[in-house]
Amino acid sequence: MKKEIPQEIERFSTIFRIQHVILFTTFLLLAFSGWALKYPALEHSRFWVKIWGGAEMAGLIHRVAGVTMLLDFIWHVLYMFYLAAAGRMTFHPVTTVIPMPHDLTDFIKNFMYYMGLAKSPPPFRRFSYLQKFDYWAVFWGMAIIGSSGFILAFPVFSSGIFPNFTLGWIWQLLRVLHSDEALLAVVFILFIHFYSEHLKPGKFPMSWVWLSGKISIEEMKHHHTIEYDYTFGETEDDE
Amino acid sequence: MVRYVLLLLTVAFLYVPVAESSECLLCHSAMQGKMEGRKGVVEVHVDAKRVVDSVHGVLGCTDCHFSYGSGPHSAAAAVPVEVAKLAKKVAVKGTSDPVALSACVQCHPAEYEALTGSVHGENVLRKKQADGPLCLDCHGSPHYIVPETDAESEVNHANVVHTCGKCHGDERLAEKYGLDGHVVEMYESSFHGKKFLLGHTKVPVCSDCHGAHGITRWDAPDSTVIGEGKVKTCGKCHTGATPKFAAAPAHAHVGKDNPIPYYSAKGLTALVIGTFLFIFMHVLLDMYAEVRDRLSRKKKGGH
Repeated sequence: MKKEIPQEIERFSTIFRIQHVILFTTFLLLAFSGWALKYPALEHSRFWVKIWGGAEMAGLIHRVAGVTMLLDFIWHVLYMFYLAAAGRMTFHPVTTVIPMPHDLTDFIKNFMYYMGLAKSPPPFRRFSYLQKFDYWAVFWGMAIIGSSGFILAFPVFSSGIFPNFTLGWIWQLLRVLHSDEALLAVVFILFIHFYSEHLKPGKFPMSWVWLSGKISIEEMKHHHTIEYDYTFGETEDDE
Repeated sequence: MVRYVLLLLTVAFLYVPVAESSECLLCHSAMQGKMEGRKGVVEVHVDAKRVVDSVHGVLGCTDCHFSYGSGPHSAAAAVPVEVAKLAKKVAVKGTSDPVALSACVQCHPAEYEALTGSVHGENVLRKKQADGPLCLDCHGSPHYIVPETDAESEVNHANVVHTCGKCHGDERLAEKYGLDGHVVEMYESSFHGKKFLLGHTKVPVCSDCHGAHGITRWDAPDSTVIGEGKVKTCGKCHTGATPKFAAAPAHAHVGKDNPIPYYSAKGLTALVIGTFLFIFMHVLLDMYAEVRDRLSRKKKGGH
């Protein structure tokens, strides 16, 4: 069956775009307002805190942004379940964001391309292995940084959940988890996400998909070849 | 020297406030450096301007320095019995004027009372050790004491940790009294301490939990930092604090003796560095491949 091929195609719906805007806004607020607390003895830390109007205000912003991010995350997860339950999102290996065996082979093939052992990168599906990694990294971050952050923000309330034998070290552990994983998240976003979606040749200054939700058919054909074939059949040269 | 002093006197007279103390300050505001006094070397300079601006600016010199007359040749007034008694006890501190050091008790009896029963006061007054802090060791020179809310005050929120650290970070004292000489660093790496370093104005400093004048040993029965006392102390800021909440160490040492956070931190650092190396390599390789492809395309196009 021949299908009409449009100029561009919606990749992310409005709700996903709103969730993403909330996510990166709160992420930036959290990273900037919390950064100084990681190395408070350094001179630049006092500068970072001053930007936010002092340590108290930075702490308040950090907590408000943190709770907002958690709510955004919960909204996303519930919405995904809703889409699945309502039948508006069905599982297919080509479109899923769930890691599949082909992601591992894609990864290996991509590295062979990087090393010059293959002529081109492997054809990707709706989400490349790196995009899936990027997506699930948020879940890891929420589990580790989000939960520890919530506990640290409401310590009296949270202290009841810990068994007695943990009380001597759990708080230090949570603090280390929160700050080290936050550093990891910042570094990760700075390199993988900023490079892939902002700095990479052809993307600069940024990929506009976050705002419009749409990507061009050309880009889809090029970067998500298997998804393109799956969506429009093999009729790529008919228009 | 005398001529020098007289010359300065003339100058000093122009700004010395006309008060009961002006006669003393005529010389002492102009004098510079240290002198051999009755009990060792003393700082002879007194900054008249700062005295007047201090909380004690309304007092005259001899209100504390009982053993001196109001001039070099006038006789001293009698020393109050209470002050004289205390002066004998505090002489162990090796101060040049133990009477003046004891004079605080006249106006601050409650603080003195608390200090007498504290671990600090006991060390000086009962155990006759020079190490324990009395008023001036924490509050600084009585001539220049400013309100606690003043940023210059040695007991201002921002300065308390440094003030306590003068002794509690001292190796000799740590050894002599079996203290942990790294307690300031431990505090500064704690959650409260980190916020303190960033200039947080409400975060607790040493005295907020341990107390000040009436401070006890941490393991004393009426300690504010263990057991029921700690629950109450935490509750001052953390409304509804429970024994379970108060069980959290406020400034614990993170080392091999505290293995779970210590090794978790090491593991996390390895994870961070590992992930960092991986993504860095990924990005670099991607850039490399991009450039390589562009160059080869150009080459093809050119020929």
